Amino acid sequence: MALAGIDETRLRRAFLEEAEDLSQKLGDSLLGLEADHGNSSLVNEVFRFTHSLKSESALMGFAVLSELAHRMEDVLGMARDGRLQLGKRVMDCLFAGSDMIAAMMAAIGKGASDSSFDTSALLGDLSANASGTRATEGQPLSPVPAAAGSSTASTITASPALPPVQGGPSPAALQPAVIALGDFERLQLAEARDRGETAYRLTVNVDPEETMKFPRAYLVFYNLELVANVVNVVPPMEGETAEDALYARTTILLTAAGGDAALSAAASVDQISSVQIERCDYAALLAPPVPSRPAVSIPSAVPAAPESPAQPVPEAAPAQSLPVERTSIRVDTRKLDDLWSFIAELVLHKSQISRLSESLGKGADVNTVREDLAESFDALDKISNGMQQAMMDTRMIPISVIFSKFPRLVRDLSRKLGKPIELSLSGEDTEIDRSVVEALSDPLTHIIRNSLDHGIEFPEERVRLGKSEKGSVNVAARRQGGNVVIELSDDGRGMDVDHIRRKAIGMGIRGAESFTEAQLLDLVFLPGFSTKEVVTDVSGRGVGMDVVATRIRGDLKGDVVLRTEPGKGTRVTLVLPLTLTIVNALLVRGDDQLYAIPLTDVDSTAKLLAVEITGDEGRESSLWRDEEIPVYSLSGFFGAGRRREEESFALVLHHGDRRAFLIVDELIEEREVVIKPVDDLLNSSRLFSGVSLLEDGRLVFILDTSFVRRENF
Amino acid sequence: MGANILIADDLSFMRMIQKEILTERGYTVVGEAADGVEAVEKFKTLHPDLVLLDITMPNMNGLEAMRKIFTIDPKAKVIMCSALGQQNLIVEAIRAGVKDFIVKPFKPERILSAIEKALKPA
Repeated sequence: MALAGIDETRLRRAFLEEAEDLSQKLGDSLLGLEADHGNSSLVNEVFRFTHSLKSESALMGFAVLSELAHRMEDVLGMARDGRLQLGKRVMDCLFAGSDMIAAMMAAIGKGASDSSFDTSALLGDLSANASGTRATEGQPLSPVPAAAGSSTASTITASPALPPVQGGPSPAALQPAVIALGDFERLQLAEARDRGETAYRLTVNVDPEETMKFPRAYLVFYNLELVANVVNVVPPMEGETAEDALYARTTILLTAAGGDAALSAAASVDQISSVQIERCDYAALLAPPVPSRPAVSIPSAVPAAPESPAQPVPEAAPAQSLPVERTSIRVDTRKLDDLWSFIAELVLHKSQISRLSESLGKGADVNTVREDLAESFDALDKISNGMQQAMMDTRMIPISVIFSKFPRLVRDLSRKLGKPIELSLSGEDTEIDRSVVEALSDPLTHIIRNSLDHGIEFPEERVRLGKSEKGSVNVAARRQGGNVVIELSDDGRGMDVDHIRRKAIGMGIRGAESFTEAQLLDLVFLPGFSTKEVVTDVSGRGVGMDVVATRIRGDLKGDVVLRTEPGKGTRVTLVLPLTLTIVNALLVRGDDQLYAIPLTDVDSTAKLLAVEITGDEGRESSLWRDEEIPVYSLSGFFGAGRRREEESFALVLHHGDRRAFLIVDELIEEREVVIKPVDDLLNSSRLFSGVSLLEDGRLVFILDTSFVRRENF
Repeated sequence: MGANILIADDLSFMRMIQKEILTERGYTVVGEAADGVEAVEKFKTLHPDLVLLDITMPNMNGLEAMRKIFTIDPKAKVIMCSALGQQNLIVEAIRAGVKDFIVKPFKPERILSAIEKALKPA
């Protein structure tokens, strides 16, 4: 860590936040760039993202990440300057780099480091692209023209290996500088002598730790030019400049009228380890050149002691530290403005109430005060509701956060599979709780993969079937009441329901013979049930729709439904709650414990008396709308299995399309509860999705109604 | 009283680090700018004693911003922040009159000594 003394956790968090953002933007812009190669502002943008990633990661000591970003920057720099065409191969390289950076960021976010990543192959590819050695494939990379006067640039770009920051100046730099004076320089010197100026030779040594020696030496040279007449510099500062390391020592011949002090002030620049100022004799300098010695040698006064090789202290490996959770969020300022306006009203009503209380002390009419108080409480009620809503809004983020990853996913898969695909996205602005968004990414990705892998036919087959050669995949999101609905559809071959039925029967699933189409399609969400026998490395085997169902129905309390039409395509519909933190629930009692059941999962409530229960204890069932469904009881789950009382109630709960009766001792009220995570110890049977605290401090368990799908407990 | 410094960098992470280093040493960070346009604007209104200016920024890069700043105040003290590989840009900045430059990744001492030298009256 190069930055001792700064709170590392804070630093790491700030780094993660910005760098993850940059990494995401890098990916997005690359996609844009692929579609629009010639877009110079996009090239610039991508260049800037890699540049920023390079700087930030280097500062944090993530050397592997930094080097990768640096090489990508090199390539992009060449593209920006028109020295490299962004052909397919180069773009692939950049995409691969962007992916690896994203993976590194993920690792770093989990507390690991970037050092475990092997970037050698990728760096090699990038270098090859940068140096143009792979100028093939009909995408000729224009050779790097050695533009006159800009050869310093080529020390970076033409040899993509990092410029030699290690190692001291090459032996040549340590030789006594030989300044060859041409006619022009001699003339300059003679004139300076006539003006009465003194000739000096300055030897400027740049601090070995300086990573850019040429600009450092240039700064001294430039400052000197302001107070003196520079006659000559070795190595040269203008025109054909030399390799950066050679500027570790620069010899400057100049004439000046101001004396030594002005010179040493001008040369007093940071990162210069020493400056030697020697007066020179004009006669010696201007002596006519001896034919055998065409150059005037100016030996250094001090023998050029072999300087200790400039070995920058190697950066310490980035410290392995605990994962830093992202604790900051971005919030649209308009949402904060809303919240603020409620707070302004709150302050207003607070003073109103304190005024009322004062007026009571002064003997105001109690009835009038009571009315005024009632009004104020009404207002406070509205304000607190509004604040709650506004706070919740700050948790909402647009679903585009996930959707924006799909174009890249589809692009890569479509190329891999050889199936041209047109992806259309809609409803990206639909907002959803950020915790839901995070859990949605994987399932959606999986469904899209399935569509491309199994759903969409190969182009030849599509043409034969009279379809357009290009398959289409639609992803749409919309708000529907308290839910967000996401539909993913394709125009592929659809699913063979009869095949599913045969397979179900083969697997010994009871009643499969008479299952409806919807029931059969729901089987796809069972673990291990996959109708595609061919294993491909796209969807893989084993991780299938069951994982999607677990995530959507279990973790997210939503639902997923599959519909298909043979030959026309498949549509997967996800229904998700807007938020996972507050839920409208029915508060019930079972024995002496309170439970909350999400209202969306309750179909009906009735007195137990009205329900006719059949079957043995533990396997009871009853009819509900002509369907026989199981009967459970809260006290059966958690209590000692007391006898049911006639005052008990029977609720019909559903989860997805499954239903069950639940018998509870008392219905208390409908209300909103704030869901807090529940400890695993308290939830070993996974019957709760969380807990909540009431105002009076009583604990409420929030029932996870997915138990109605379970076969046993 | 420490000198007043304006920090211009498009990366909030960089600004945070620089601010930390500077305030630790007793300097006052009078303003932060996320691009060149903002840097010039803030230079006009805040009159900082010194500007730390990143070269690579969106909208208006550091070089352009530096030129604008010098037209406002030819004696402005500007230190350029650059990355490896930007030699030519730094040389350009030196010709235009920056006091010093810092190469990222930098060590805190580097920023501090560069600022100290740059602030010293000529």
